[in-house]
Amino acid sequence: MTHQTHAYHMVNPSPWPLTGALSAFLLTSGLIMWFHFYYTLLLATGLLASAMTMFQWWRDVVREGTYQGHHTPPVQKGLRYGMVLFIISEIFFFAGFFWAFYHSSLAPTPQTGGHWPPTGILPLNPMEVPLLNTAVLLASGVTITWAHHSLMEANRKESAQALLMTIALGAYFTYLQMSEYSETSFTISDGIYGSTFFMATGFHGLHVIIGTTFLATCYIRQQMYHFTSSHHFGFEAAAWYWHFVDVVWLFLYISIYWWGS
Amino acid sequence: MLWSLLALRQFGQRTISTTSHSHFKNRVPEKQKLFQEDDGIPVYPEGWVADVPLYRATMILTVGGTAYAIYQLAMASFPKKQD
Repeated sequence: MTHQTHAYHMVNPSPWPLTGALSAFLLTSGLIMWFHFYYTLLLATGLLASAMTMFQWWRDVVREGTYQGHHTPPVQKGLRYGMVLFIISEIFFFAGFFWAFYHSSLAPTPQTGGHWPPTGILPLNPMEVPLLNTAVLLASGVTITWAHHSLMEANRKESAQALLMTIALGAYFTYLQMSEYSETSFTISDGIYGSTFFMATGFHGLHVIIGTTFLATCYIRQQMYHFTSSHHFGFEAAAWYWHFVDVVWLFLYISIYWWGS
Repeated sequence: MLWSLLALRQFGQRTISTTSHSHFKNRVPEKQKLFQEDDGIPVYPEGWVADVPLYRATMILTVGGTAYAIYQLAMASFPKKQD
């Protein structure tokens, strides 16, 4: 049986790219069937299939890295590059929504009444729940750094506690934001204000949920002894993503909630 | 500040024993042995009893769903009558 004489990971053939691509097709055609015909079965199938694909694909990455030892230093470097590039692409994604907000709010048209916020829009008070949300996410940035340092010092108990606190803060943010959504006097269809507000904060909320899920996965892996004090890239990737989510919120708070009111 | 956070956290927790309070045993060495066996089996079907059923369910859902989606799109393209 031949063995490789290099440090790189030649990944074995896998069915998940195919099931992922087909799931994407089901999601998009499912959206069409829902929008035009109020028919939700295809969309539900797409959501389920993509969730199953993601679970199994990342499960396999854990198997290849933690159990088979394929994540050598050069491979880990590649994974780091990959995560950084992905986060950069997400920054560009949010840049679009911020562009839309600033385009409309810096030069308000006659349709908005010539000022921002537009006539008839009652913005949320930035010094109330939005300020609390800012404090919650900033605190979660502290707790995740604490978790990382505890992990690097091989302190299992503290790293688990700090990670759990970070997850709890993330869940608390989501709960607060959902209750804020029910308190707004405007909806997504209330002109350009509603559109920019809910598209930007809505996608941010989705990213908070994704980040919280990523952190929860890290918590489970940490409990199962997957991480060592020197090798825990999965955790670092989750931490980078979480800090990105925090920074996006700060931009949202300052631009839309504070300046935009 | 971190110490007060820790104290706050401990206040809400059950008594912590001196041994690890995690509910998991370290099964990583067993898994490493299992997955490093020179059996030529890829990662996705081996490791857990539900691996193969999960794989089959995913394939059925995606391939079947795609066929159904194409059928639905074909039906939507020809309103009322079918060629």
